[in-house]
Amino acid sequence: MLWQQLVNGLTLGAIYTLLALSFSIVMGILGILNLAIAELFMIGGYFGFTLIAANFPLPVAVLGGMAGAAIAAMVIERIGYQPLRGTPVVTPMLSTLGFSIILQNVATNFWGSDPLQLPDEYLGRQYTLGPVNIGQMQLIVVGATIVLVTLIAYTVQRTTVGRALRAVAENREVSRLLGVSADRLTLFAFALSGALAGVAGVLIALHYGAITPYLGVEIGLKAVAVMVIGGTTNIWGALLAGPLIGVVEVLTVAYGGSQVRDFVVYGFMILILLLRPQGLLGGARSDQGQRV
Amino acid sequence: MVNSNGKKSMLKVILNPSRLLGTLAVISLSAGSALAQAPEIALGAVVPSSGPFAEWGRSNSVTLKMLEKQTNDAGGINGAKLKITILDDGAKPAQAASSLRKLAGDEKVLAVAGPLTSSAAEVTFPVANEMKVVATSQASSKPGVAKLNRPWAFRNTIDEGMLAKTTVPYFKKAFNIKSVGIIFDAKDATAATVGKAIMPAALKANEIAIVNESDPLSFNTGDLDVSAQVTKLKSLNPDGVVVSADYSQAITVLREMKRQGLIKPVVGATQLISSAILKAAPEIPIIAPATFFATMKGEAAEKFVTNLQPLLRKESGLPAEIEPSMYDANIYEIVSMYIDAIKKSGVTGKPADVEADRAKIRDHLAKLEGFQGLGGPIGFNDDGDAIKAFYVLQGQNGAWDTKVRGCSSAPNHAGC
Repeated sequence: MLWQQLVNGLTLGAIYTLLALSFSIVMGILGILNLAIAELFMIGGYFGFTLIAANFPLPVAVLGGMAGAAIAAMVIERIGYQPLRGTPVVTPMLSTLGFSIILQNVATNFWGSDPLQLPDEYLGRQYTLGPVNIGQMQLIVVGATIVLVTLIAYTVQRTTVGRALRAVAENREVSRLLGVSADRLTLFAFALSGALAGVAGVLIALHYGAITPYLGVEIGLKAVAVMVIGGTTNIWGALLAGPLIGVVEVLTVAYGGSQVRDFVVYGFMILILLLRPQGLLGGARSDQGQRV
Repeated sequence: MVNSNGKKSMLKVILNPSRLLGTLAVISLSAGSALAQAPEIALGAVVPSSGPFAEWGRSNSVTLKMLEKQTNDAGGINGAKLKITILDDGAKPAQAASSLRKLAGDEKVLAVAGPLTSSAAEVTFPVANEMKVVATSQASSKPGVAKLNRPWAFRNTIDEGMLAKTTVPYFKKAFNIKSVGIIFDAKDATAATVGKAIMPAALKANEIAIVNESDPLSFNTGDLDVSAQVTKLKSLNPDGVVVSADYSQAITVLREMKRQGLIKPVVGATQLISSAILKAAPEIPIIAPATFFATMKGEAAEKFVTNLQPLLRKESGLPAEIEPSMYDANIYEIVSMYIDAIKKSGVTGKPADVEADRAKIRDHLAKLEGFQGLGGPIGFNDDGDAIKAFYVLQGQNGAWDTKVRGCSSAPNHAGC
């Protein structure tokens, strides 16, 4: 059972990683928590689910989920963030909270509150390796997460766009003086973050073969914990903390009891905040301005 | 002479189609305006049209609008027009309580149908007592919720403890069950009570071992990942599984059971009854009790489904293939019982009589016996819970089949 639980934990952790990275990108540039990301994850899942149900191939569904969530994120940036940029940090955060409630309502009204279920054939093939049963979708989820984290890390650390993003994160005004369009990059950061949340939503919907309008809240909160534990200043932190939290959560349910699951996960987050506020892979205090 | 003139003018009207139509229109308009001008009978309903049980709440609303129209088209209640004010509680207890307060205080309704969940009923029923207005839940089945809030609280449902006493023996016999694992939704009041207390007691009474008795497996409403719980259940290798959750959460558990190859019969409470759950894992048999299901036989039930189903399927925000649920039937019966009480107990509907009218409805319900519901006669026991027929159903390969018929009879009350 232990090995099977580790596989369960790694799959769950992969989803947490993608979502944590999505939170981290906006947090890194703007220093605010985009609370609508959990619902962008859900909306992305619904877009992908709808395309799969309409017999589009998996890559189209993934791209559709990414595009749908990215567009929704850009709308949030234009309406819910940009006009409030000069206000205290809490104002745009509350605005994104409003968007999250709106998105959940839109999903409930459009797709209904009942879980949508994919036909059995989408559950995918199962592979048995000794005591472990691994589904095809589990392998896709873990593989896609590693590829996407690597791509994001490469984009942020090695490309011109990434350098510009880091410049904006370091000092918005100075970057503008150096010719970087901070507004355009902020929009790009929202879109990138939305696309990541969207792909996570499609993957989780396909993995479980079901989706509901309420799946964003629980997973979104765990992803915030993953971001904090991994460290908001380092992309690889999410890749370490996601599977760590996924495995801790699953093993807690298996060996400690479901009732203490959230106590352990969020207790761990509080412990990290107390002992190492910058997170496991976060930089030293002097690096904290540079979050991306 | 008068007769002759009258006959002539009547003949003219009959021979002239346009005059005939005009006359009929005037008669119908005057009848309609008479009903429109008649005093209104105001009833209220608290349903979750948003939130996790939105499907149930929205279909409840369609059901109530249908009943309101049927009643008014048939001439109203003692000549008065029926008006049902429906408020959304989002399945949130505090919102349900404030909705009831608004209905009783501002809208001056004579009685309220709802709220739907036990969590909401636990908070709302004390308010019903305080406001002295009858509130009858269409879905709450956690034991003792109405009993704690007498005399104004009622439930058109049967205590899950009573249902489990019939459901579990059938489950044991049908699938030769010697051991089960239990998994429940810890955040749902009814599901948690069924999972932690009702089912363990019923299983022990039937000498069925609980493989995770010392280590209860639970999840939270909204969780999509229950892989760890199902892996653990699978490792314990039970003959069957108790899934105590509302159907939308139970779907998540069934999908995961199927994904991990845990194909074992499932037993649960009334919360499992839905069409959607049958699609989650068609090869897994599901046993659950119900007081109504869409394919139920009987004139009243079949007529109800025939009338309601097309309206539900036309409503935006509801699935295209939706069928009337047990909770639609329950809320239809609740308001029908209120109408019966208003007709038979001298309720005036006048603003000055609102307190007396509410008390008359309460007293009528408390003594009610043999009211013809959709599945047979209905009454209430001393705890405020319904005495009505119920059925143990088996869901498999996309359909529910009746296996056992029972009655929630109580001492000193008429049976079903």
